[in-house]
Amino acid sequence: MRAAAPPTPGSVLRGAITSKRGTVGVAALLVAGHQGGEALVPVVIGRTIDEAVSTGSAMALLRWIAILAVLFAAFSSCYRFGARFAERAAETAAHDLRVRVSERVLDSRGGASKGRLAGELANIATSDAKRVGSVNLILPFGLAGLAGLLVSAISLLRMSVPLGLLVLLGTPPLLVLAHFIGRPLERRSGVEQERAAYASGVAADLVNGLRVLKGIGAEPRAVARYRRTSRDSLKATLRAARAKSWHDGAILALTGMFIALVALVGGRLAASGDISVGDLVAAVGLAQFLLTPFQIFGRVNAGVAQARASAARVADVLAAPPAVPGGDGKLPSEVPGALRISGLCHENLRDLTLEVAPGELLGVVAPDPAAARDLLAVLGREFDPASGAVTLDGTALSTVDPDEVRRAVLVAAHDADLFEGSLIDNVRAGGPAVERAMAAANADEVAATLPDGQDTVLTERGRSLSGGQRQRVALARALAADPPVLLVHDPTTAVDAVTEAKIAAEIAAVRRGRTTIVVTTSPALLAVTDRVVVLDGGTVSAHGRHPDLVRDNAFYRTAVLS
Amino acid sequence: MTELLPTATWARTRAVLGELVRPRRWLALSAFVFVVAATGIGLLTAPLLGHIVDLVAQRRLAEAVTLPVLLIALVALGQGVATAIGTSLVARLGEGMLAELREKFVERALGLPLEQVEKAGSGDLTTRVTNDVSEIADGVRDALPELGRSVLTIVLTLGGLAVLDWRFLIAALLAAPIQLGTVRWYIRRAVPLYAKQRVAVGEQQQQLLDTVGGAPTVRAFRLAGEHVGRVRARSGAAVDLALRGIRLVTRFFGRLNLAELIGLGAVLATGFWLVRDGSATIGTATAAALYFHSLFNPINAALALVDDAQSANASLSRLIGVSDLPPVREPAHPAVPVDSSVKTAGLGHSYVDGHEVLHGVDLEVAPGERVALVGASGAGKTTLAKLIAGIHHPSAGSITLGGVDVAELGPSGVRETVSLISQEVHVFAGPLAEDLRLAKADATEPELHLALDRVGASDWVRALPDGLSTVVGDGGHRLTVTQSQQLALARLVLTDPPIAILDEATAEAGSAGSKVLEKAADAALSGRTGLVVAHRLTQAAGADRVVVLDAGRVVETGTHAELVAAGGQYATLWAAWSDHR
Repeated sequence: MRAAAPPTPGSVLRGAITSKRGTVGVAALLVAGHQGGEALVPVVIGRTIDEAVSTGSAMALLRWIAILAVLFAAFSSCYRFGARFAERAAETAAHDLRVRVSERVLDSRGGASKGRLAGELANIATSDAKRVGSVNLILPFGLAGLAGLLVSAISLLRMSVPLGLLVLLGTPPLLVLAHFIGRPLERRSGVEQERAAYASGVAADLVNGLRVLKGIGAEPRAVARYRRTSRDSLKATLRAARAKSWHDGAILALTGMFIALVALVGGRLAASGDISVGDLVAAVGLAQFLLTPFQIFGRVNAGVAQARASAARVADVLAAPPAVPGGDGKLPSEVPGALRISGLCHENLRDLTLEVAPGELLGVVAPDPAAARDLLAVLGREFDPASGAVTLDGTALSTVDPDEVRRAVLVAAHDADLFEGSLIDNVRAGGPAVERAMAAANADEVAATLPDGQDTVLTERGRSLSGGQRQRVALARALAADPPVLLVHDPTTAVDAVTEAKIAAEIAAVRRGRTTIVVTTSPALLAVTDRVVVLDGGTVSAHGRHPDLVRDNAFYRTAVLS
Repeated sequence: MTELLPTATWARTRAVLGELVRPRRWLALSAFVFVVAATGIGLLTAPLLGHIVDLVAQRRLAEAVTLPVLLIALVALGQGVATAIGTSLVARLGEGMLAELREKFVERALGLPLEQVEKAGSGDLTTRVTNDVSEIADGVRDALPELGRSVLTIVLTLGGLAVLDWRFLIAALLAAPIQLGTVRWYIRRAVPLYAKQRVAVGEQQQQLLDTVGGAPTVRAFRLAGEHVGRVRARSGAAVDLALRGIRLVTRFFGRLNLAELIGLGAVLATGFWLVRDGSATIGTATAAALYFHSLFNPINAALALVDDAQSANASLSRLIGVSDLPPVREPAHPAVPVDSSVKTAGLGHSYVDGHEVLHGVDLEVAPGERVALVGASGAGKTTLAKLIAGIHHPSAGSITLGGVDVAELGPSGVRETVSLISQEVHVFAGPLAEDLRLAKADATEPELHLALDRVGASDWVRALPDGLSTVVGDGGHRLTVTQSQQLALARLVLTDPPIAILDEATAEAGSAGSKVLEKAADAALSGRTGLVVAHRLTQAAGADRVVVLDAGRVVETGTHAELVAAGGQYATLWAAWSDHR
């Protein structure tokens, strides 16, 4: 699965086809049979007119109707199974890509989400994967169009070379003409469609912000704003619709003229006895039918272009360079948890040196949130520091595989997400120490207020809970993991003062003897730590016990007690 | 517990459609005339081709075909022009109706009581405003005109067959029972299957948003294997349903092929018989066969579109269900508040029957006073805030704003008197200035800057790439939680209500941000009666008065100093908070 060369748009697209080549091949053969069969229907009608209707032979009529039945049975079955094979190839190829994109995004070495919003990545895994997969649908139908064209061509040329050439050579210019009439419209209608999509986006956005609107009584102004957007979009849509109507009318007129031309040439050939009446009927029918394969080619073109653009986006994610390399360093199976940071420089951290003893409960006060985030990212090995080193029990973190690092060091971020599932499942995802952790983080009380207790299903990444409830569940999950080294960042900012003090004491009790770092400015949490270090300008400016710092350090007092 | 928003009945849906068409009846009529004309003209091609066949069969001179050929060309031109005019009229009709409908819908949706929206689940309204509107738009733009054209083509073609000879019509109609049966067979299976498919695709999307959006957490807790498994399962379920869908569709078309065969065979046999009989020419038989062959596409299109039309219809009744709700009633002679006081008497509330979260709350706030609401999570602070702001209606007791009962004030009076800023942040998509103008539609740019300045946001707004014109919100420049909440406070300043309620408006920002926001909130509240739900006790200490709620009741009230001295619940809270400082 993991090829040596990084994925490119071409390789993603080719891979989607070749991984399903058997299914795609069978599908192509079958749907080609279908189009070929459809092309023969006008020919059979012509023959029936010639050999049965004109002659009055009942036997001939029965024979041709039987032939018609066989033809229908054949092409109908071809379509039935061909379409299923094609759809299967398309859907399973999209599924494979969806799984691969998820695997890449979740890869412990990171890097794939850089510069992309979650919604965008989710769209790449759904819509783009689907469009890439759909080449497996487009390809067989493109080949089928070719088959229809071939069958028509042979039938026409066998009747009359001039008529056949007229139809065959006349159709492409007709379609090119239609394409030229349509092209400026397509571009314009793209713009208009965006305008329409924008109007519906505005409506959804207003509905999503309903509580905020109601809070300030802005509903009438919001309605007025939507009405303006809707009117603008209506005007744009009507312009596009008018243009499209004239385009459709022009195509219809052109097609009709072409059929008239075929009738003129065919009629004259038939009148002079060069072709039969049935041939004339078949030629007119085929002139009508031939538009289908050519339309298919147009769609194949557009579909492949879309698939290629989507493949580029998919490949971009798959080939994203990891944020940190792997590593084969090993941590001991029992991690005592001695953490040493020396001379660390990384974006907002400057020459940071810090030692944490095994089992220590350390408070870190970082008034600059960016410095706090950087520290957390480096300790969780989401990034390797630009310079300086971090060692855990003497092993440099940068030599250890990130997944292995996180087995020992758990970073519980301030904005950590909860996932769909019950409250208790979310905590259980952290680790086995569930009950103790629920009590310590006060999440048992959260569960008690919910309709189904701890089995209440959380939706929208825990947004169904209030901020304080969410924080307590997230903290319970981190404590349940019971890692050798735990970092928690601002775990109680939305929790009321009484509960916060309770939680602080519980954290100290649960983590006794295990290295723990609490990054916070909350005095309740800092009061239970063994020691506090203060980061100012990305480096340690002071350290000591919380009461001493409160007494002696003015910067600390402002940061913690304002 | 969820109670979805209403869906209109079929009869009501039709009636509303009628109301939408009535002011546009001349447009509707002319659209119909042109579409019929276009289809009718197009039907002349087949008999003209049949005539050419007859001319050939009668061994007439080659020049004789010139006239019918010219006529075919003329028909093509006429059909093209009539189609262009007809379809653009149809678009004007449909799009105009759609615009009116969606505007009415949004107006009603935004006016819905929040209780009703919440009972239905936040997804219900959002789905209606996005999926249902676009489902109908697709219907109006593609499915319905196509369906209309196809049905018309079918009807007129069958008429054409009857004109050739009524027996051709009988032959062609042999296919109809199979076609109708097939459609009924298909819809019975397709509707539930597609509903399931939509749910599965939605769940797959939700799972991906969950997993991808939470990727840092997944990595930190080493849950990648489990989450890839979840994506695999959800995607697999969607794939299975898609494959069941294509099996159904191919069986549908298989049955329609059978109908085509029977109809075509019958028309050819009828032609054979009538020609032998001498009651029709070869050309007529040809025209009949060509007619029927040219029906293949419209019939398949119409039958396949029945499904789309049905789902557009279902979406329509969901939109009309909401837009048909009665508007909120305003009192005939709304009273005007005399000051900016707040008074509640015996206020009680329960979200679920028998589960009271607030009992007998009596609260009086003097004009210009600032009161802090304090209490543990679940004490009922947010409920009290929402009741006073008129977001929810109390189950018991009364609320008086500015000396006037809220019932006499009416919804729009309440809206102008009191604002509520909650911890929920939403930045409206579009230019920043547009977001702020939701609070005050005619605010000038200096006014906007002044409001931003008051909440301490002018520095970062000026630093934005396009200042006030910077596109923010979904798909635009991303603001931090602190910035978004400052924006909310700036909206409050612009709305300029006499009474303002802040419900933990500073909670989500993290410790550094909440200090910035407390200052901003302080500035935004000055000159107003303020009710502040506080979780940081520094906010309570700065208020004129503190009200402590516990389990839905007011247990203490007084100034900060009084309550600390009284040694009650607040004193304990304060001790827990200030112990560490």
